[in-house]
Amino acid sequence: MKVLFLAFLLVAGCAHVEPKPAEKPLGPGEILSARAAQDVLAIGSSTKADVRAALGQAVVVDFSSGYEVWVYRERPKEESTVSKTELVLLFSPSGILAKTRVR
Amino acid sequence: MLAACGAAQAADDAVVVTALRHPVSKSYDRMVAGMELFEQRRHLAPGAALRFKLLPRKRETAMEGVEVEIAANSVGIPLEVAPDRTFALERNDAALKEKAKVVPNRKAGTMTWRAEVRTPGLPPDARRLGDLRLECEVGMKAGLISDYPPSFFGWLDELLPQGPSYCHRAEPRYLFFAERPLFSVTLVDGARREVLSVDRLYAGASRDAKWKRGLRYCDCEALIDRAYFVPLGDASWPDGTLVLLEYM
Repeated sequence: MKVLFLAFLLVAGCAHVEPKPAEKPLGPGEILSARAAQDVLAIGSSTKADVRAALGQAVVVDFSSGYEVWVYRERPKEESTVSKTELVLLFSPSGILAKTRVR
Repeated sequence: MLAACGAAQAADDAVVVTALRHPVSKSYDRMVAGMELFEQRRHLAPGAALRFKLLPRKRETAMEGVEVEIAANSVGIPLEVAPDRTFALERNDAALKEKAKVVPNRKAGTMTWRAEVRTPGLPPDARRLGDLRLECEVGMKAGLISDYPPSFFGWLDELLPQGPSYCHRAEPRYLFFAERPLFSVTLVDGARREVLSVDRLYAGASRDAKWKRGLRYCDCEALIDRAYFVPLGDASWPDGTLVLLEYM
């Protein structure tokens, strides 16, 4: 009986779940899902301001031609790993989204 | 000598070769060594020929009317430059003996050079990986790439002291240039496809927030939106792999 009681206490102790720590805010160029982010964008009409409002700050590579490439990467599932999933956006010199790709 | 031909139609940076104080020039014997390596390694691109290509290093560099010659004390051999700014080089014993230079009619720092190896018959927006492997090896052997300062992009600096063996690394940072600004690069071998990371485009600018600081030291300065790396040393991609270029 005593053994059973101790086992119950152990199991009950294990069942206690620590509250999840608050989600770390996304850093510059970080997104949760590249596909979901791509879905909210519209080629030919989304502006840089639209995209910044929807996805936050990107890593920007801007060229003298006026074209800009914006890069977002999915936050890695574990802190120690580097995310390989990236969303790449191309803005034409007019500031309108011209192309997207997820890799 | 190239004398005064063509200088008039070119812009300010175009000057007559014989009058140039600081011409952009390359060692003829190193370029010949690159040609010899091409012959030894041509199984990488059996159907291709070797040419050398001149590219603008500055945005304002005028490429029209570029002329090139093999120049030494008693040697002056003009080379025929095609409209795509490529030229072929021939072996000349006198030029080798006199340690000749290959000299275009442009000032130092205004242009850069690459080997060009193109298998005929490919689609216009495709390159072949074996061709690029050979371009890298010849380019490294011939000493075609310009100096990068040690701090530039943090990792390009390791390239220069290396010879052609540098191209056998899985991730060499040898820059290739597309004909137009690039949006993506995809490797295709039969059913296997891989879109390269954006970090392999634009000389890796997407992973260096301060990339513009060192740009003027890179021979990619005027062509950074066309620049890309490929995994040359990754043997899982055969020489026949197509490198598909999607432009902006």
